[in-house]
Amino acid sequence: MGLRGYKTAVVSRGLEVRFLVVLLGATHVAFPSHWVRGIVTPGQEGHDGPVTWANASYAPTDLARRLTIQAKSVTAETRVVLYANEQRSRSFAVDKVVGLIDVERSLILPLPAQFRGGERERLLGLFVESSYIALIANPFWVLELPSRNNVLDVFVLRLSERRPDEFDSRLRLPATILEEASLMPSGSVK
Amino acid sequence: MLRTQLHRQLHQGTKGATEARMQNMVVFSVGGKRFAARTEEIGGVMPWPGSTAVPSDTPFVRALVRQENGCLPVFDLAAKFNRLLQDDEPLCLVVKHMDGPLAICIDSQVPSLHMVARSAVQYRAGNDSDIAGTCIAGEEEIPIINLTTLGVSSNRPA
Repeated sequence: MGLRGYKTAVVSRGLEVRFLVVLLGATHVAFPSHWVRGIVTPGQEGHDGPVTWANASYAPTDLARRLTIQAKSVTAETRVVLYANEQRSRSFAVDKVVGLIDVERSLILPLPAQFRGGERERLLGLFVESSYIALIANPFWVLELPSRNNVLDVFVLRLSERRPDEFDSRLRLPATILEEASLMPSGSVK
Repeated sequence: MLRTQLHRQLHQGTKGATEARMQNMVVFSVGGKRFAARTEEIGGVMPWPGSTAVPSDTPFVRALVRQENGCLPVFDLAAKFNRLLQDDEPLCLVVKHMDGPLAICIDSQVPSLHMVARSAVQYRAGNDSDIAGTCIAGEEEIPIINLTTLGVSSNRPA
């Protein structure tokens, strides 16, 4: 092995992306967690208007319909995810929050080339967990922003900067939700 | 020695000519309808592992199946030919598709290998580019599926 390969291997070790995995209908959908601003129960959501949380407003979007997934009706497990970056914010209902998961970049697979339709804009790829296959939603598409190349690399680089014992402070989940999330089954694909 | 070589060459030539006149075909069924495919286009057969739906706009490509550490896209051949898969234990036909391996859910009846005379194979271009033509296997005329290019240009139901 040459030095170049060795260096690449060292640099790439430990690169991972943290995802919030949810259920929409029977489909596991993963969102880069860096832009998750909160998870609230439907009761805390405004009716059809924007959700206001911690002095920020989140316009609602029917993500299940946009993904052409048949979502369930509201249950006790329904949650509203608050998703935003510096430019735009959205809130959307999910049927269940599965948990947070760290996935090594090398284990994130592209959508197979046989998928040739609009799903290529909506989905960045997938990863395989022991009990499910999660489809990775394009965070730019979720926020109805123009997409860009190598979207996940943005999240990989930022997350790789954190120290091993440091929780991602950018994931500004409300304290009550963090407690709830800590009780959820979560893990890592490595 | 020369005679031996000549005999061997003649024998090999005869064998080669016979092989040239024959085509290896795999016959499988989907929802009771039989299809044929060229052997070299098939990667293998395994039990159907169950699929994960993908919200997709691509005609007949709307699911994934696990394979080892990755997954394969699924082409819904049953939907394309308006067949209903009623099998409790279907099989997964892995296809050598031009865009990468592809899975097809087929009936539990194990695919059979047929040596088909070239004269019994009719290649013809039709409206559906997923169908290469027909062949006679087991006294039955069976459509030949273009597995390597399945779904690439044909988006229409058959």
